[in-house]
Amino acid sequence: MRDFRKSKRLLSRRQTLKGLGAAGVGLGLSSFPAPAVKAQSGGPIRFLNTETGRETLAFFDRIAQEYEELTGTEVIVDSVPLSESFTKITNGIRAGTPYDIGTVGFIGHVLLLADEGHIVPVNELTDAHQWGNKILFPLDGQVFWYPFDYNLSVIYYRKDVYEENGLSVPTTWDEFVANSEASVAGRRRGSLFPIGSNGATNWMSFAFMWAEGVELFDDEWNVLLDNDEMAPKAAAYLDMMARLYETMPPGALQASYADVLSNMVAGTLTHGPYAGRVLEAAHRDNPEVAAQLDIMPYMDSAGEQTAVSHGYDGWIVMNTDNLGPAMEFMRWMTNERMIDFLHTTPVHFQPARLDIYDNERWRDNPMIQQYGHVLEMNRRFITDDSVILTSIDTQGPAPDVRPGKIFESFVLPEMLQNKILRDMDSAEAVAQAAARMREVIA
Amino acid sequence: MTRWLLPGFLFVGALATLILIVGPALYAISLSFYEQQSLTADPIWVGLNNYATVLGSAEFWNALGNGFFYAGVAILLQVVLGIGFALLLHQSFRGRTLLRGLAFLPYLLPTVVAVLTFKWMIDGSLGIVTILVDDLGLPPIYWFETESAAMMSVILVSVWLWTPFVTTTFLAGLQTVPVQLYEAARVDGAGPIRRFFHVTLPMLRPILTVIILLRGVWMFNKFDIIWLTTGGGPLGATEHLPVLAYRQAFTLFDIGNGAATATLSFLVLMVIVTLYFWLFPMDEKK
Amino acid sequence: MSQAADAKRLAGRASLYFGALVIAVYSAFPIYWMIASSFRPAREMLTNPSLIPHTITFDNYHNLLAQTDYLRQFANSSIVALSTVLLTMVLSIMIAYGVTRQRMRGKQIIISGMLYAYMFPPLLLAIPLFSMLNSIGLTDTLFSLVISHLTITMPLGVWFLWGFFKTMPFELEEAAMVDGCSRLGAFLRVVLPLSVPGLVTVAIFAFLLSWTDYTFALVMIGSDANKTVPLGLASMVGAFDLRWGDIMAGSTLIALPLFVAFIALSRYFVQGLTAGAVKG
Repeated sequence: MRDFRKSKRLLSRRQTLKGLGAAGVGLGLSSFPAPAVKAQSGGPIRFLNTETGRETLAFFDRIAQEYEELTGTEVIVDSVPLSESFTKITNGIRAGTPYDIGTVGFIGHVLLLADEGHIVPVNELTDAHQWGNKILFPLDGQVFWYPFDYNLSVIYYRKDVYEENGLSVPTTWDEFVANSEASVAGRRRGSLFPIGSNGATNWMSFAFMWAEGVELFDDEWNVLLDNDEMAPKAAAYLDMMARLYETMPPGALQASYADVLSNMVAGTLTHGPYAGRVLEAAHRDNPEVAAQLDIMPYMDSAGEQTAVSHGYDGWIVMNTDNLGPAMEFMRWMTNERMIDFLHTTPVHFQPARLDIYDNERWRDNPMIQQYGHVLEMNRRFITDDSVILTSIDTQGPAPDVRPGKIFESFVLPEMLQNKILRDMDSAEAVAQAAARMREVIA
Repeated sequence: MTRWLLPGFLFVGALATLILIVGPALYAISLSFYEQQSLTADPIWVGLNNYATVLGSAEFWNALGNGFFYAGVAILLQVVLGIGFALLLHQSFRGRTLLRGLAFLPYLLPTVVAVLTFKWMIDGSLGIVTILVDDLGLPPIYWFETESAAMMSVILVSVWLWTPFVTTTFLAGLQTVPVQLYEAARVDGAGPIRRFFHVTLPMLRPILTVIILLRGVWMFNKFDIIWLTTGGGPLGATEHLPVLAYRQAFTLFDIGNGAATATLSFLVLMVIVTLYFWLFPMDEKK
Repeated sequence: MSQAADAKRLAGRASLYFGALVIAVYSAFPIYWMIASSFRPAREMLTNPSLIPHTITFDNYHNLLAQTDYLRQFANSSIVALSTVLLTMVLSIMIAYGVTRQRMRGKQIIISGMLYAYMFPPLLLAIPLFSMLNSIGLTDTLFSLVISHLTITMPLGVWFLWGFFKTMPFELEEAAMVDGCSRLGAFLRVVLPLSVPGLVTVAIFAFLLSWTDYTFALVMIGSDANKTVPLGLASMVGAFDLRWGDIMAGSTLIALPLFVAFIALSRYFVQGLTAGAVKG
């Protein structure tokens, strides 16, 4: 058991404006004293879940009950959308009622919590397994979270539309744009890549740029975007996106994950970026379309490199007085119930643990069998070192909060909007974005 | 008992006001004088620095201008449309009661629901509006993809949602105008338009004064509709002061600047409302 | 009667009904579309959204109820909204009546103060309120939500009722007091019953505000057990999967109680608007 007094001291030393601010609503604002952490020992384990699908919610209901019957320890699971999870976690800490286990989808948040001593290393759970590329994000050898899935953004396309129009899978930007243009017919548009200031754009629209070899930072965290090597690449990317925009339906500026998803499922798009959830939704609502979907990675202008956009979710174990029981529960769940958990959203929860891909029980799921080709391709993306696996928030030489700030200030989406909505010169849009990045991380 | 009733009421009222409003408000304003330097340091007093930063930023002036435009146009449309609807609903025809009810319904919807419904209707591929427009052979409507279109779309939803307040209030007012006044005007040979401008409007001026005041304050402070519809974008085109303050405080974690922006917004509104009171005194009847 | 006059009258009626039709479609179509979508099968929504659903399904409602703890959220929302209404009424009646009848200097200041309070950006109040309530251990309770909602409903209620009480002749109370009523008795037996339309108006506004609030709930409420309906709907929507049918079902369920309440109370509401606040 951890030293309770230590965590208490940590907390009170940190009841500061910034800490609160960084944690979101109501965190640090106070000149009011934060209450001390309540002793939680022996109490129920409080688990904050962010996977709100129907099956997943039912899974947590079920295992909470099972675990209580098995061990007598009560587990209470609260569910919120991912976007609210960090606020909830930090508010819990502030209010003296911390969760014992949380779910996060942003490595910057893991770093912040680890840095302040609110979460503990989980090496005892993760060391036993092989993992995919770039997923554990260790700090000095310590792993602070248990990643349960990758959510790689890849490009989905319609095989039937490709066949009808005699198209082949593109390997260069020009081919991709040409395919998008050629497949516009009636209400069906060529593609939809979000361009608004939101997380969807950050995650789904820039992997073309990563494939082209653009990097945001050097090893010293200097901004590279406007140097001689990167600037022309980024500008070329903007020119390509402006052409692609002509093939999109109205609404690219507002589009979030869900809009791309519903458009793909409805069959009103030939191409759209997203993760496995597209197949889950299409399988449920429009199986004919689901049968015609396949994926490709993002490509560069010359047909030499490919990239996929990095995404992930994982569990963290908080440094509460209930640490021991919480860790035991995590050990039980990740060992005994992991496959059941993954099966609640079989295609979208792409395993981060490599042993699962060869697990008979996991493979035995009908969805996984039906869409095995997609999962196999995704498996290659997380194990093949030639595929660039990155995203704005994981750019730079090491895990850090700086790329997180770039992500959250929407510098790159604004660069796209300057090009597409304001018709700004590409080079100027890139220069502006680089200047803004320096401001943001200053 | 009798002697103490009113002071007692006022005492409870003052206490509630102090706890619920004055305290938090002063606290919120005091935040605008502090800055948080790092994750661990205590906030430091920076005097008017945050105000200097905010007033020196282009974002603030952009947001202020947008706020005036948004509130101004939205109120104007609500009032014009609301009066038009009220005049029609004041006529007698079959189904009038039902229509009066229907016309009020939008006002009952939570903003979240109205925004979601609007977004569903204009979805670029699946929305019923998009489909109808396409069936008519017209080019698709880009609701949000230029800076002015985005502003117009936000105003459109706002007007739809809140016009019923004007309609219903004005309609209620219409019913209090004595019929004799219209008859007298008719005898004098005044047509419907003259009757409206010379009888109806002057009689309902006090009502209009209050409607415009309440709606104006509300529109100027209204946060969720813009936040949920455009988030202030594209490129700040629909960002007004409440959205700017929220973004500073809750997404950029800069509570000091957020509080300064909100306080400035409050001051601007206070000046306008004071001017308004001066131009259109509320107690003219006394 | 001349034919020209007949034709003119007919044209007048026709344009009146046309105008009425425009208002009906404009006001009600989005609401119709919300309700219709909530009963439409997912497939039909995505591929074939005709004006009238071909098939009616309750799947969306099933999904919604399976994914969200709607009944509990409904109960939470009701408790919060009704408590807010109650406290708003009590406080704003006391303040408004006190200010109207007490002879004192600076009344106008109190009343304009209330209006200024109404002008204070609500979001800015949420931050300090959270800290204050947190320090006494009240965050993540339904009560914290009631307190937050009062910061908006109380000033508005005072402002409304002040306009209402002001127009009520003092002679009525005097007469009652001459007949042996205490001041409180006169207030309870004479003033309040006469103010019912105004009170109902304030109650409805307070209820609407509280029932539809999302922002304060997001800040104050943490656990699933204390979520209100709008917060629950937002949790379900998430950002990743968009099941328009479920969302429209949730929206319909949030709006429905309001429609019912409005139909039941509309008479008072309109009276209240006429007689009270708007006379300034």
